[in-house]
Amino acid sequence: MNRRAPKPLSQGMVYLGISMLTVVVLYPVMVILKKAFEPGRNFATSVSPVPTEFSLEHFENLLTSSNSSGDLLFLRYAWNSTLVALATTVVGLFLACTAAYALSRFRFAGRRFGIATFLAVQMFPGTLLLMPLYVILHKLGLLNSLLGLVLVYATTAIPFCVWTLKGYFDSLPKELEEAARLDGASSFKIFYMIMLPLAKPGLAVTGLFSFMTAWNEFILASTFLTDDSAYTLPVLLKSSVGQYSADWGLFAAGAILTSLPVMALFYFLQRYLVGGLTAGSVKG
Amino acid sequence: MRRDWWHAYVLAALVSVIVATGTFVGYRNAAFEHRELARAKHAASSVAEGLLPMDNVVAAYLVSPAVQSREYEFLRERSVTEADGSQRRLGGTGARAFDKRIYDAANTFDKSGAFVELVIDSDYVIAAQPAKGGVAVAITTPPKGPERFPWLVVLGLLVMGSLVCAAGTLVGGGARPLGLALGASGLAVPTFIWSGLAMALVVIGCSMLIAWADLRGSLRRAGREFRKGGIAYAFLTPTAAAMLVLVGIPFVVGLGLGFYNNNHGEWTFVGLDNFIQILSGDGRSLSDPLNFWFTLGVTVAWTAVNVVLHVSIGVGLALVLRQRWLKGRHGFRMLLILPWAIPNYITALIWKGMFQFEYGAINSVLSTVGLDKVNWFSEWSTSFASNVATNTWLGFPFMMVVALGALENIPGDMYEAAEVDGASPWQRFHHITIPHLMPAMLPALALGAIWTFNMFNVIYLVSDGRPGGGTDILVTEAYRWAFERGERYGLAAAYATIIFLILILWTVIGSRLAKKDEE
Repeated sequence: MNRRAPKPLSQGMVYLGISMLTVVVLYPVMVILKKAFEPGRNFATSVSPVPTEFSLEHFENLLTSSNSSGDLLFLRYAWNSTLVALATTVVGLFLACTAAYALSRFRFAGRRFGIATFLAVQMFPGTLLLMPLYVILHKLGLLNSLLGLVLVYATTAIPFCVWTLKGYFDSLPKELEEAARLDGASSFKIFYMIMLPLAKPGLAVTGLFSFMTAWNEFILASTFLTDDSAYTLPVLLKSSVGQYSADWGLFAAGAILTSLPVMALFYFLQRYLVGGLTAGSVKG
Repeated sequence: MRRDWWHAYVLAALVSVIVATGTFVGYRNAAFEHRELARAKHAASSVAEGLLPMDNVVAAYLVSPAVQSREYEFLRERSVTEADGSQRRLGGTGARAFDKRIYDAANTFDKSGAFVELVIDSDYVIAAQPAKGGVAVAITTPPKGPERFPWLVVLGLLVMGSLVCAAGTLVGGGARPLGLALGASGLAVPTFIWSGLAMALVVIGCSMLIAWADLRGSLRRAGREFRKGGIAYAFLTPTAAAMLVLVGIPFVVGLGLGFYNNNHGEWTFVGLDNFIQILSGDGRSLSDPLNFWFTLGVTVAWTAVNVVLHVSIGVGLALVLRQRWLKGRHGFRMLLILPWAIPNYITALIWKGMFQFEYGAINSVLSTVGLDKVNWFSEWSTSFASNVATNTWLGFPFMMVVALGALENIPGDMYEAAEVDGASPWQRFHHITIPHLMPAMLPALALGAIWTFNMFNVIYLVSDGRPGGGTDILVTEAYRWAFERGERYGLAAAYATIIFLILILWTVIGSRLAKKDEE
């Protein structure tokens, strides 16, 4: 912002400071990268982030370990995670798009209440509903099932999708709709033929975020899934470094494979994220 | 005015039908259970008297007292008298269906005497009675399909009610709400028959309330609003229905569970006991980690320390990163938001590994520079600090990105103009930067505070409450009551309700303050 740069000495201090901070920020990631490629279950005691021995054994163990019936565990859990995250996204988007449109374009009694409810539900943590959801799923026999988990994730995915999609619809121009209305198109037709195609980028971004959230969810999955054929990746990672037996090498390899796809997504989408999160609260 | 009587009537009838159905179903289930219990008891008595059991009995035997097994001394055997008078040992190779149930029932009888029980979920009733030479046990299956709801009666009353309402509307004036009240009250008749006076009075009360609302004109207004927003409601319906089922029901169930106590799957109503137990600290001292107020204090400290660190580090970095002379600032930005990109449970587990005593990276660094290793989770302060370090690493990028966004929106010529006017760097910061930063930072701060207040993963995965639950925050404490301390679901639900109330209070106060600020 300032056109005049400060003196070289203070510039140097700033470079030094920010570089040191960046190293601190990157260090945990380097520790995990090092562990993933270094043999042994425990961390090495050397501080250097470069592995002394290089091996792919953790990745190999991770990808080849199987249960008694011969299923490859990591692939199976990755498949479970993908399935749950995809289903949550589809349910969330499908149920949210009409409501988001209504909240964005129509004025009606109860609109403010609706907006406040979606905001509140999205803000309040899923752990508050964890207990009643557990009791209900238990009654319905849906514990240990991926369907149950999708329903649970939908409780936060739907309000999130409504909220972000509403923001997107707000940013779309109204002229096209008005023109279509003059031509005698019904409200539903306008929504289906004009607004949805226009909102495709918004739908894509919202869907990807919703996918990431479901992919990254840990506590609900580990509470509701106790049968190891239904685990998702977070439950596997947590159990690989349990209280009594910890295999940090396996964990490191799994953590890298699990987070790489969502990290790539995150970097691709990050400029939308901040807008969506804060725009909501600013507009209220 | 004349035609909209039916709005009110439909509403009144709907409320009444819901109340009537609820009471009917409750009454029917109670009657059904009573009848089935009586039947099983009767079957057991018949066996005790040496008679043949009746229909719907799946198993009924005279069971002998338990004797020690000859083959295995830890086993206690029982035998039963078959219909032809022969004796058969329960269980073992010749076991039949229900042998285990009968054996268990005889044991229960020995312990606590005659009983009769409806085994919910598995659809049968079991009864045990004293008999000569042992105990008579009978298992009966309830017949399928209890009584039907007499829809015809309800339909008739609805038609009659609508006629009364129509008549009232045609007469007009005060007759309108009167007709409405009378018509809807008609449903009090079936309610009275099935459930008694109290529920009938509730139905009548509802009708009166609706008639009163009509008298004040609120119903007409609501109807008009509804017609006006018609299409919007159609668009909202799928989502609203899904939210009602997925969020509304669990929410209400959660509120309700707080008033019950769970003992091995048996729920008993305990009123406000759970709330009293939590809020009174349950007789524990204030320094006991299981005391609610201790946990609340930890939660507040946790939230405050984290938010202060996130905001100050985030804003500080943003102020540096927006300097145009800084080379590679986009690169730094990309690297510094890395913690945000990693799933937070993975971050938490990584830091848990780094805080390990023996092999953890932090202790390795400490011993490399010649310091003693620290047992991070054995003391409250170091354990709390470990959590804070993890969460700060995880949380500052959000604040940094928000602050950077806000700073980039400040027009550059404002600074130039200020400089020309001779404003010092501090004055420029105070009068230009801060006022532009605040509108973006306040909502981010509110959001960050709520996230931190509920940051389950870090506490649960890094310190796991150590030492002795001392670093637990409210959400992890509620979780432990439900899943790690003997399934106290009721207490956990009450905990969740209290957390919810705190969050609501916080939000309300926050938005009040924000409004005041704007004025």
